[in-house]
Amino acid sequence: MSDGLTAPPRIAPEGSQHQDVLPAGLKRVPHGVDELATEHLVLNMGPQHPSTHGVLHVLLELDGEEVIAAEASLGYLHRGIEKLAESRRYHQVATLLDRADYLSGLHTETAFALAVEQLAGIEVPRRASWLRSLAMELNRYASHLIWLGTFGMDAGAMAPFLYIMRDRELILDILEAWCGSRMMFNYVRPGGVFADIPGGLDAKIRSWLAVADSYLDDNDALLGGNEIFVARMKGTGVIDAATALAFGMTGACLRASGVDYDLRRDVPYCAYPELDFEVPLATAGDNLARYQVRIGEMRQCLRLIHQLLDGMPEGEHTAKMPKAFRPPVGESYAAVESPRGELGIHLVSDGGPTPYRMRLRSPAYFNLSIVDEALAGGLVADAIVTLGSLDIVLGEIDR
Amino acid sequence: MPAHQPADVLGLAGIACEAADEPLGAVVRMDADRILDALAALQTVGYDFLVDLFGTDTGERIELTYHVRAFATHDDVYLKVLVDYDGEAPSVWRVHPAALYPEREAAELLGMSFPGHPNPKRLLTTEGLPPMLRKSELIREAGEVQLPYE
Repeated sequence: MSDGLTAPPRIAPEGSQHQDVLPAGLKRVPHGVDELATEHLVLNMGPQHPSTHGVLHVLLELDGEEVIAAEASLGYLHRGIEKLAESRRYHQVATLLDRADYLSGLHTETAFALAVEQLAGIEVPRRASWLRSLAMELNRYASHLIWLGTFGMDAGAMAPFLYIMRDRELILDILEAWCGSRMMFNYVRPGGVFADIPGGLDAKIRSWLAVADSYLDDNDALLGGNEIFVARMKGTGVIDAATALAFGMTGACLRASGVDYDLRRDVPYCAYPELDFEVPLATAGDNLARYQVRIGEMRQCLRLIHQLLDGMPEGEHTAKMPKAFRPPVGESYAAVESPRGELGIHLVSDGGPTPYRMRLRSPAYFNLSIVDEALAGGLVADAIVTLGSLDIVLGEIDR
Repeated sequence: MPAHQPADVLGLAGIACEAADEPLGAVVRMDADRILDALAALQTVGYDFLVDLFGTDTGERIELTYHVRAFATHDDVYLKVLVDYDGEAPSVWRVHPAALYPEREAAELLGMSFPGHPNPKRLLTTEGLPPMLRKSELIREAGEVQLPYE
């Protein structure tokens, strides 16, 4: 089979007017790392380096301490989720999607459920939408906590990680009592959610909320209030808005570059149109900006959870769904604002009981594709902090 | 409603296409060899963000979907092109660098190619693996898998 994968790179087709035009925001042609260069050192970071957040392999071409080029080598966690989904019935796919972004499974599940509902024209009860939003915000907070802890560790701050993991445990306890699992929830189904919120959990979430604010202040003071940590973040890993958009960046990384875009507000879904929240924004585009935007998002998270608990409507937790579910022939796309950005599910149905094609638009995948632009020109030590600030989850990138 | 209909923009640029308003949204079907020009023409009228790029095995050919967004107005358009199993579509990275990863992924998982890509290596799977997203590649149960050393 000739798939042309090993063929030498060719430039744009003859006669194309775009042959020599470099897209806005790019410094040069991203041709990867020249592994045979003799004057530069090619450093393999990963796939088991503690700072690469899972099994990411980054090739760095170094001139002394300076990064000349960087390339991410992916696939260590590739399980073929998109292919496997073609063999699963629609209500079985959520179990696969939990394992894509394993830090915020509820977002991926919801994106899939929304895509199926759009395809089949299913109306979701209002309470189900609110339950989804509440579960997603709790999940977002837990995911941001992991980012905060590992980001600190990337810069050598060990102690905050321990406090942050303690705080995250409180949310995982709530989610376990609610969904039956700490990470692999399988809770959001097409049509609604699997079960209503158990009695008494409301009080448990409220007692967590009572302390969450002060815990967040403490954690923020430990990192954001640390002069050394701030000095390492400020002005490193700068990504301007044009570059971020060119590479398809979304989420907190994009908002830290000054682009005001949040799907929860701009393309509302679930309960978000009825909620009052702000979208934190920064313009510097450096690691500090990404830190500040995410900390701001966590404060908004707590605000949203208060509103969701207070305004939770009565009603059914799921629409009536047929046991042998077959959506009509067609395509649909639905996206949610996951902790990492725009997480979309593109579904193609042939009218059968399983998806014909399911595409997962992974936000971290596009956020990571900027690695060469963001790391080149910086130092090795900054490369590690910058990778940490992007908040990547390899399960979602490799799928 | 966007100020510029995608089909009109492509028509002005002299690119033959077929537009349809489907439940998915605005879908434009066209030939693969003009895709770079089409995306560049759309970019000039505000369709500046490539949301996603992926391929689907239709059973006869490969259908590539370019999901493009006008960021300012939240208008999405889906450009669809058909290519043969061993065919090619020009790389669009010079207009949308976001296509760099998905093109490598589509090439290895569907077995076609994107001439003009600056780094056309495999992205997710190892050398020698067949293009697994083709419908001819069957999903096997654990018991059916024969490992070479067994």
